[in-house]
This record gives sequence, C-alpha cells and structure tokens, in this order.
Amino acid sequence: MSAATADAGWLLEARGVTRRFGGLVAVDRVDLAVRRGSVHGLIGPNGAGKTTLLNLIAGAYRPSGGALRFGARDITRDPPGTRARAGIRRTFQNLKLFGEMTALENVAIGLHAATRSGFFDAVLGTPRHRAEERGIHEASMEALRFVGLAGIAQVRAAALAHGHRRLLEIARAIVARPALLLLDEPAAGLNVTEAAHVSELIARIRAGGTTVILVEHHMDVVMGVSDEITVLNYGRRLAHGTPAQIQEDAGVIEAYLGRSTESEHAQA
Amino acid sequence: MTHSSVPGVRRSVAAQRVTLLAVAALIALPWLDADKFTLHILSLIAIASIVAMGLQVLLGYSGQLSIGQAAFYGIGAYTSALLTTKLGVSFPLALFAAGVAAALASLLMVPITRLTGAYLAVATLGFSIIVYLVIKNEEWLTGGSYGFISIPRADLFGHVLRDPISSYYLNVGVAAIVYFIFARIPGSRFGRAINAIRQDPDAALASGIRVTLLKSECFVIAAFVAGVAGSLYAHEVRYLAPNDFTFWKSIEILIMVVIGGVGSLPGAILGAAVVVGLPEYLRVIGDYRMLVFGAILIATMLFGEGGLAALCAAMGRRLRGWLVRLVPKLAPSDESAR
Repeated sequence: MSAATADAGWLLEARGVTRRFGGLVAVDRVDLAVRRGSVHGLIGPNGAGKTTLLNLIAGAYRPSGGALRFGARDITRDPPGTRARAGIRRTFQNLKLFGEMTALENVAIGLHAATRSGFFDAVLGTPRHRAEERGIHEASMEALRFVGLAGIAQVRAAALAHGHRRLLEIARAIVARPALLLLDEPAAGLNVTEAAHVSELIARIRAGGTTVILVEHHMDVVMGVSDEITVLNYGRRLAHGTPAQIQEDAGVIEAYLGRSTESEHAQA
Repeated sequence: MTHSSVPGVRRSVAAQRVTLLAVAALIALPWLDADKFTLHILSLIAIASIVAMGLQVLLGYSGQLSIGQAAFYGIGAYTSALLTTKLGVSFPLALFAAGVAAALASLLMVPITRLTGAYLAVATLGFSIIVYLVIKNEEWLTGGSYGFISIPRADLFGHVLRDPISSYYLNVGVAAIVYFIFARIPGSRFGRAINAIRQDPDAALASGIRVTLLKSECFVIAAFVAGVAGSLYAHEVRYLAPNDFTFWKSIEILIMVVIGGVGSLPGAILGAAVVVGLPEYLRVIGDYRMLVFGAILIATMLFGEGGLAALCAAMGRRLRGWLVRLVPKLAPSDESAR
C-alpha cells in the first residue's frame, strides 16, 4: 500500500464529496487532494462546511455522495474506528478529552490500537501486558514532551487550562504516529503566544512525517504553516492554492469581506 | 509532577492496608462468631456482591446501564441446579458451566450494545423479564412456580461442604477472587479503554478503540460472574423459585452498585451488604424493603455520587486525622510509610 501511494504523491483524495443534512447541503461536491507530507489548510467563513468535511474524512459522517481515498485504499464506507486504526487521527473543535483521566492516561488512549493486551492479560499480568504498559508509558511521555506538557502528566485533564487541553488533544492524536492528522481549530481560544506555539508544533509534526489537514480561523497560523490551502464557501470549493495565491484571490477576499455594496445591503 | 502523584500513592497504600484488614477479618470471622445464621447471611452477601461487582464493571467502568443482571444470575443458578441434579455433574464444573451459560446468553445482548442510556436499560430489562417468564413457565425444565428443589450442597475435590463454615469460605473466597481480578482492570489497557468509552465514546472511537467489541466484552464479563454467583446461590440455598429472579432482583443489584458508589468495587460489596444484610437483621422492614432501599438511595445521593464507598473513605480520612492528633506518635510512622 505504502509503495503504491508514495508514487501517487497524494495521501488523501476526496472526489465530489457531498453531505446533506435534510435540505441543507453542508458540503457540496468538494474535491480535495492532500499531498503526502504537507500541511493542507482548510479555511472559509463560518458555516462554510470545513468541520463537516473534516468529519467526512474522519468517518464521523457518511458522505451522501462522492468518494474518499486514503493512500491506495477506498475509505468512503469505512466507519471512524477503522479509519483511526488505518492511520487517520483527529482533534475536536469542542475538545473531547477524558476529563477524569490524567493527561498521561489521555495520551495512552491514543496508543490503544497499537497494542494488543486484553482483559486476561491485565488480570494475569502477562509479560506482554507489562511490556506494553512500559512502552505505552514511554511513548505517551514522549508525546507529552513533544507538545510541551511533560510537567503536567499526572494532572487530571478536567483540571487543565484551555491551552493545555488543546495541546493534550494533539498529543493524544499524534502519539501513535498517524499518517494523517486532522486538526479542527487547534488554535481556537488561544492567545497569540499560544497560537504561535501551535504553529511551531504543526511544523514539527509535519517534519516527523505526518500529513496534516488544518481547519483554522487564526489566519497567522494557517498562512504561516500551510503548504496549500483550500477555501470553502457555502459548502463548495471556492479556491485552492498556495497561501500567497489565496491571499491574492479576489473571490476569497470577497467571501471573507463581502463586496462593499453587498455588505451595506446586508446591514440595512 | 511528583507532587501531584504523591496523593495517589498514599491513597493506594491506605487502600492496601484496609484491604488486608478486611481479608484478615473475613478469614478470622467464623472462629470469632461461628453463628450459623450469620455465616449464611455473609455467604448471601458475598454472592450478591459478586453480581454487583460484575455490574460495577459494566456500569461503573464502561458506563453501560443494565437493569437485567438478574437474568444472568438466574440462568447461572438454574444451569448449575440442572447440571448437578439431572446430569450428576460435579459442583466445580457446574459452577464454571453456570458462568459460561450466562456469558453465552449475554452474547444475545451484543446487538443492543449499540444502544446507550435509557434505551440500553430498557432492553436489558426486557431480557430480564423474558428470562423470568421462561423460568416460571417451563415447568419441565425449571419446576416453574413450584420451584427447583433438592439441589445438592456444593462439593470440592469430592468433599461435600456440609458445615456453614466451609460454604462461607467457598462463597467469600469466590467473591474475593472476583474482587482481586476486577481490581486489576482500572490500571490496564483494557480498563483505560472502557473508561474512555464511558467518558466519551466519540473520542474513544476516534482513537481507534473498538467500542462495540469492548462494550460487549464488559457485558460478557458481568454476565459470567453473575452466572457464577447464581450457581453459588443455588447450592447455598438449595432451593430456587422464579421469584428470586424477577426484575426486582435486577433493580436490587443496581441499587447495591449505586448506594455503594458507582465505579467502586468495595462500594459494590458495601452495597450488597446493605441490600442483603439489612432486611435479614431488621425483619420489621420486610415488606417495606424497597421503600427503605429507596430512602437509603436518596440519602446516599444527597452526600454525592460517590455513595457509601466515598462516604467511608471520607470518614476514614477524618478518623485518621483525629488519631494522629490524639496519638502524635502515629504521625511519623505514617510519614515514613509514604
């Protein structure tokens, strides 16, 4: 699989992906091709369908139409668990941490699929269980160090500050070294310093060989770290290109700022 | 980091001491007070606590609400009774078979583990009612409303456990094994995964956890021990009636877990002690037991979700504080134990 896709250069391809919610078409025949080893930004005004598209890629939603390809594999019909085990991990816009667990345990969950010990291993304390627990502990601590949270490994996730929670979700998502990481507004609610740290973190994640799809409103973050950007508006793909191209694109500027006359009409 | 990990270590040392003390007390008890009735009640508490600990794994660890555990308890009881009386199977084998039969029956629940919350609870309740009706109506198999009589005593290695002391050790011993097995779950990969499912199934799924499979495994584990407990019950009481396995029994098991403290194994045992022990010692409450349990349930809920286990832990801490103040010599030894 890896050899075939390495030739193609695309890690993820969405073709004509559509998602309807009743009468609303949240994502409308969107094409998206994500280059292996790149950071692909996904931007657009509120309600443009960015998170829906991310959920379609993660498998949280089934597409109403179109096809998704991950490497050489057609994942259009795969449930989210299968995609996670195949190497697609994500974070959530509204943070979904396991609040009663420590930061370390939260990260350890990310390694679940990479290990095998079950109920009987736990009960009997088999060598496999002991070895895996050691491995899980080391890898989880390393992931925490990677995002800069090693100092709070034993703190319950619910007790963490917002910025730390965002980083913890990223640590949980990358600990198993996924091929594709989906970040849903990782800098939301962060101050400028914290957002800069997230940018730097994303660059390091890419350097480690993980491809990233980034949904983000912080323009500094998206423009600074993305290799390519796709702009969505009303569920459709409005533009696609490098950050420089996107910043020049008349259609994009209009979608974000509105034509002056139109915005006056809207206000009236 | 080291600072925050200290309380956990200290708590586990204290917990180990309490556990050790409890085990010693349970071993010594028959020699201190060999009253037949007391031993019988303690056996019944041990048996009930096994079912309750199973539900603790299902509800407290994996977050699945079942109000149908009496079904698996009943399946285990009748399986063991049938195997020993009709087929002459030895007790240890029947005990194991009872667990397996209940576990197999729980596989019927696999399709419904996709349900959550109230829907899951109602589905398990439905299963409990069906099993009760089968027990009540299939007279050729279960004796129906007449009950299942002349079930032999338990035996181990060809030795029949005639006196209440040996059956007490059997029941408490099995309960202790179940306790120590389940106590290993929370710190393990399996335990973390089902805990994750309980807290946020979407995030668990997105982390690659096989949510449906693990939820089903919890059902099977809880059913297996419920079946084992049913077998112990059959050979302890030696008479089974359908009314022992109505959905009220399922509710009682749930009450044990909730008043004991959802998520706490010692809590499940405390809850079983209250629910089984109280009506035996306070005969007056007989017909009003559900009323009394209801009142206890509300009272413990007022003190928070931790139930009796959390209440006892809080009292233990306060007691320790007083002791340290009264006998200052205690303090340094405690410090060194840390």
